[in-house]
Parts: sequence; structure tokens; C-alpha cells
Amino acid sequence: MPKSENRKKTILFKFFLLNFLFLAACAAGTPNHRNTSKAFIDDDFILVKTTDKDTLSTLAADHLNDPTKGWLIAEFNDIETLTSGRTVVIPRSPLHKGGLKTDGFQTVPVLVYHNFSKNSSGKTSVSEAEFETQMKYLKENGFHVISLDQLLDFIDYKEPIPDKSVAITFDDAWGSIYDIAFPILKKYGFPATFFIYTDFVGGGKAMSWEQIQTLSEQGFDIQCQTKTHRNLTVRKKNESFEEYFKALEMEIDYPNKLMEKKLKKTCKYLAYPYGKTNDLIIAILKKQGYRAAFTVEWGSNPFFVDKYRIHRSIILGKHDIESFKKNLSVFKKNELK
Amino acid sequence: MKHALNVLSLIIVLYFVTGCAGVLGAFTDFTEKVSKETSDKASRSKGVLSPSDYIEKATAFEKNDELQAALFYFKVAGALNPDDPDIVDKISGLESTVVHKSFEHLQKGGKFFKNKQFKEARYHFLTALRYDPDNKEALDYLQNRLIPKTYISYRVSENDTLNSISENFYKNPEKAFLIVYFNDLKPDTAPLPGTLLKLPILAPKLIQPTLNIPEELLKAESLLKKRQYEAAASITERILQNDPTNTTAVDLKNSADYQVGIQLSREKKYGEAINMFKKITPKSEVVDKSIQDVIEKELSQAENFLKEKKYTAAIAVAENILSHDPSNKAGRDIMNTALCQNGKSLLIRKKYTEALTVLNRADPGYECVERTLSSVKNSMKKQAEIHYLQGVKYFLNEELQSAIKEWETTLTLDPEHIKAKKDIKNARGLLEKLKKVQ
Repeated sequence: MPKSENRKKTILFKFFLLNFLFLAACAAGTPNHRNTSKAFIDDDFILVKTTDKDTLSTLAADHLNDPTKGWLIAEFNDIETLTSGRTVVIPRSPLHKGGLKTDGFQTVPVLVYHNFSKNSSGKTSVSEAEFETQMKYLKENGFHVISLDQLLDFIDYKEPIPDKSVAITFDDAWGSIYDIAFPILKKYGFPATFFIYTDFVGGGKAMSWEQIQTLSEQGFDIQCQTKTHRNLTVRKKNESFEEYFKALEMEIDYPNKLMEKKLKKTCKYLAYPYGKTNDLIIAILKKQGYRAAFTVEWGSNPFFVDKYRIHRSIILGKHDIESFKKNLSVFKKNELK
Repeated sequence: MKHALNVLSLIIVLYFVTGCAGVLGAFTDFTEKVSKETSDKASRSKGVLSPSDYIEKATAFEKNDELQAALFYFKVAGALNPDDPDIVDKISGLESTVVHKSFEHLQKGGKFFKNKQFKEARYHFLTALRYDPDNKEALDYLQNRLIPKTYISYRVSENDTLNSISENFYKNPEKAFLIVYFNDLKPDTAPLPGTLLKLPILAPKLIQPTLNIPEELLKAESLLKKRQYEAAASITERILQNDPTNTTAVDLKNSADYQVGIQLSREKKYGEAINMFKKITPKSEVVDKSIQDVIEKELSQAENFLKEKKYTAAIAVAENILSHDPSNKAGRDIMNTALCQNGKSLLIRKKYTEALTVLNRADPGYECVERTLSSVKNSMKKQAEIHYLQGVKYFLNEELQSAIKEWETTLTLDPEHIKAKKDIKNARGLLEKLKKVQ
């Protein structure tokens, strides 16, 4: 009898061991669906009944392979947060690709700041308080600050972006950007792009390479704004066409090489000094593999904007919040029927 | 005990035979249950939508012409209620509608694009893409073809060299280095025939040779001193294209244009002289006085033409005066008098239609013109009657074709002549009958 009892115990032990190993193996094979009850998968969407462990971000990570796309699920289901036990629809592609709707199309404002000042603002320098107010306004009014990569994926008609998207850029590499704008951007968790002209870096009022390195390490995007900040469209007096062309090539190529040396990163976007460009400059940018370039022409951008003439709205000092709001147009009315 | 062991063995075998698939199969059954459960309990559970809710949403989108969104929601409803044939039909109908509507707008956009109406073309391509986000052609137009080109494609022909291509496109063989750079070529090697080259487009300003502005200003000054005003004006224009704010060039150009205007006025080319004076900016009293002087000369010329009964010439000069100075009363009087006299002369020569055309160009209410117009109209009525009676005579002589011709003339002179209209109809009817009899 004790022998038979022992045998039973051995068999039961083996069974539970096998069962445990088998379930462990199955669980390891389907890591994405650990917390959610998948109700239905279609080519265009997924229906999910949520559990208390789900968040918009985990759902986006599990089903759209991108945790930052929680906004897409939120926008689609018209919710701000998830409640457990709810069936949510996860669209696998955007409903309004390119931001096209019956009554118009999505546009994306790109803001450009230059210099900052601690207290009073000047013509092109924005005061710390003004910048704080502007960033706060974006945060509290449902704006999504996106990176230039996200903007370009939208322009390339590849990826959707939230309805109220805006991008933030800074020109010239002023030291005040590091001292004043950088902490505020960090506070609000906003991504931003810094266009630098390399001859300025390390100068009296400019950022140092160390500071730029810090920005880069903290996830901010560093891009090029030529070597000397000359107006690329103007041929200097007594400059031959060939000399002009070589100067253009150098203005575009040199900062990229320097950036690679200093930050181990290359530029894919360029901000034109004074926002000025011409066809020859664009041809050189394309030849050198730049993905897009930015002017300072006021206005927001639809997906079909010329990628080498993307508009940016300059934010000047002494502008109240009402003036700031005028730069944030995210939809252009135009009946598309 | 043995029985218990057998059951256990069976469970183990089943586990390993079905493996994960078996478990997932069970999971699918579960999801079906969840699906049905979701559908059933939807209306009761807050925040969970039922198929009918999605159909309602889809219908609202469809009504608003948001067909992609409507399609999407119908698909969601279909997934929750796969046995509903109405949803399946709706999805299939909508899928075909979006493709059709998208194609229609693509075609329209293509036509506008061909006619270079780019704004309208863009609207239709956007609409095509809104209906069908996968319409690749509409997307290509929006992202590539409607964006200004930075390159021109050029296929190399026999005997082409880098210099000859550069000469053709940039009017300068020395820009061949651009072709080398943008096409990764070797500088001294001729491209092979048939090769497709990318030639960057250059702004006209960049194609022009650089201008030595101080040197050009000296040249312009020297030409002005030598009274070669047109040549001086041409140089200053070139300088201003390169440097629009160059005040010395502006002053030199104004001086040159003024002198050219004076010269044209002396040559009695009054219209051209005034145009030249009007090019001068900013306006000055001297220039305004010169324009007035030219207008006075034109008035005197027009009066002389009037005296010499050269009405057409007088009208042309008066028109020119009024185009520069629409409120010039003397010019308007000459214009009306010349038109009236010209009308009278045409009336005498029985050229009634021409007379009417000329008189109608005059200002309404101008007495001479009103009187002459009335005479012309009376004469036309009288003439119309003469032609009508001549037509009747022909008709009585059974010369139907000639009768019709006379009555047609009657109608050109008096389009409201009722009898002529009626008789033409009658005569044509008779001619038809005669043809049939013959």
C-alpha cells in the first residue's frame, strides 16, 4: 500500500510538473496578450475587452507595436482613459489618413523660437514667463507636441498623428535656449528640435558643444542650420557662380560632418538661414540625403506640403497668449466632396 | 484508482496532442463567447457598444459622406454580428462606391492638372484620396507632381558633351560642373548616349553673369551724357534687377526715361511718350507737366484731323488722350464730334449698319449723335420698305428666289418688319412644294 501511494504521488507530481512547464511555455510564446482578452482581429481593427492592467499605452504597445500611439485608441473610442471590462476598438490604420476629412484637412503648425531672456522680452527674445505660459497652454489644451520624425512620417503619408499636433523648433543655438527653454521643455515632457549653425557654437552667447551634447543625450533632436548662417539665396558681390555653388555645398555639408564628429549623429533636416531657399539649394539637399528642410514662412503644414519648404511660424517676444494661439491652426476648412 | 489514472493519462495525451493550438482553440471559443456576450450585454454595460451602436455610427458617417469611416464602423458591426447579411451587403456596396467616387475625382483632377489649373486639380486629388486613401495616383500628384520640380530629366544624345548640354540648358558651358556633381560623373568624361541625366533648375538670376554694379553705373552715366538715353535706361534696368534698392540706378533710370519720353514727344509719338513718362517713379511735378504738355499737343493734333475731316484719325487720337486722362473734357468733345461726323458721312453713303456702330460708340445724350442716329434709323425704315415692295414685285412675277433676297435685305434694315418675315416663310413654303412637284 505505501508503495502504491508513492506511485500515485509520483504520477500526480509528474503531471503537475508537465502541466506547469507546458503552461509556462505557452505563456512565453504569447507575451503580447498577457493582460487583455482579445475578442476579435480584423484586417482593419482589433476588438479588445480590457482588463484592469491595461492602459492606452500598453494596448498601443501590444497591438500597434508603438506605445506612443495610445492617443489613436483614445481618439477613436472618444475616451481619455481606459476602464476595465470595456470593449475598445483598436484601428490598425487611421480612419482619416493624411488628416483628410469631408470638411477639410489636418495641418500641423511648426513653431520656431530664437533667443530667450530671463525677465523682459525683446523683439526676437521670448521671456521665460511667456515661454512657460505658451507651453502650459499647449499642455492644458490638448495639443500633442510631436517630433520632426513624426511630422515627416505624416507628410510622407506613412503614419497618423494626433488631431491637434504641433512641433517645436529652435534656431541658431543661443545659450539662452539651454538655460531657459530646456528646463521648461523637460518639465512638460515635450520633444523639440534644435537647429544649430556651427560657427556660432561655443561663441559668447551661444551654447557650447557640451550643452548641445547634453540636449542630445536627453533625447532632444539636434539638426543643422548651415555653417555660417549666410543667406543661401544671395550670391555675394564678385562671387562667381562656381564659387557660390561650392559655398552652398560647404554650408550644407560641413555642419553635418562636424555633427557626426561631435555627437555621432548626422543631420536629416535643415533650417534655412532667414528661411530663404531656392531650387538649387533644394537640389543640393536632396543630393546630400536630407529628408526635409524648413523655411520661416508663416502657417501650418498639410501632408502635401513641399518637404523642402515646410512652413514655420516665428514666435516673437512681447506676444500675448492670444497672438500665440493664432499660430496654432490644426485644420484647414475646405469642403472635399 | 485505475480508472482515475486512465482519465489522467487521457488528459495528458490530449494536452500534448493539441498543444498550444488546443489551448488557443479553447481561447477562440472563449472569444466567441466574449463577442456574443459583448453584443448581448452591450446596451446594459456602460461604455460597451453593441453592433447596432456601430451601425448607427456608420450610418451617421455615411450620411456625412465620410465613407471610409462608415465602412470601418460597418466592419466593426459585422465582426460583432457576422451572420447579418445586410451588413455584408452594405460593406460591399460602400467598398465599390469609394473606389468609384475616388476614380471620378482623380479623372477630374487630371484634367485640371493638364490645363495647369493646379488649385482645382489639388482639390480633386485630395477628394479622391479622401474617398480612397490607397489611391496611389492621386497621392503621387499631391506629393510629387504638384510640387515644383528641382530637376529636369535629360536623355543624352549622340555628340552631346557636358559642355554642350550646359550651353543648351544654362546658356553657359562653364556650368557643366553642375551636371557632373548631380549625376556623379567624372569631369572629363562625356556621358554615354541614352543616359538619363538630372539637370538642376536654376533661377534666372543665377544664370545671368554677375554684374559689376559700380562699373555699370559709370557706363549708364556716360551714355546719358552722350544722349544715348535708351541704352542708358537698359543698363540701369539690369542693375535694378540685381539690386532693386540701388538709388543711383533709380535716379539714372528716371533721367533716361524722361529724356526718351521728350524724344518720343518730339517725334509726335504721343502715346509712347506718355507711357515712358508714367514709368518714372516717384512721380514729380516736372513729369506731370510733361504728360500734360503731350496731352495738349495730342488735342491740337486731334482738332486738326477733325478740321481736315479725317474722322478716323481724330477718333484714334482722342481715344488715346482719354486712355491716359479719362476726365479730359476737350478730348471727349473731340471724340463725340468725330464719331458724329463719321456717322453722318456713312449715312450719306447709305452704310447704315456701319453708321449705327460708329454712333453707338459716342456718349449717350450727345445732341449731334442723337439727331444723326434718328436720321439713320428713319432712312433704314424707308429703305426697308423700298426693298419690301421690290420683293413683292418679284413675287408677283413668280421670281421667288429674288423676292426672298429682297425681303431678307428688308429684315437686315428693319428686323421687326412683320410682313417681310411672313412673306419669306410663305415663299419658302411654295418653293418646297414646287421642288416636290418637279
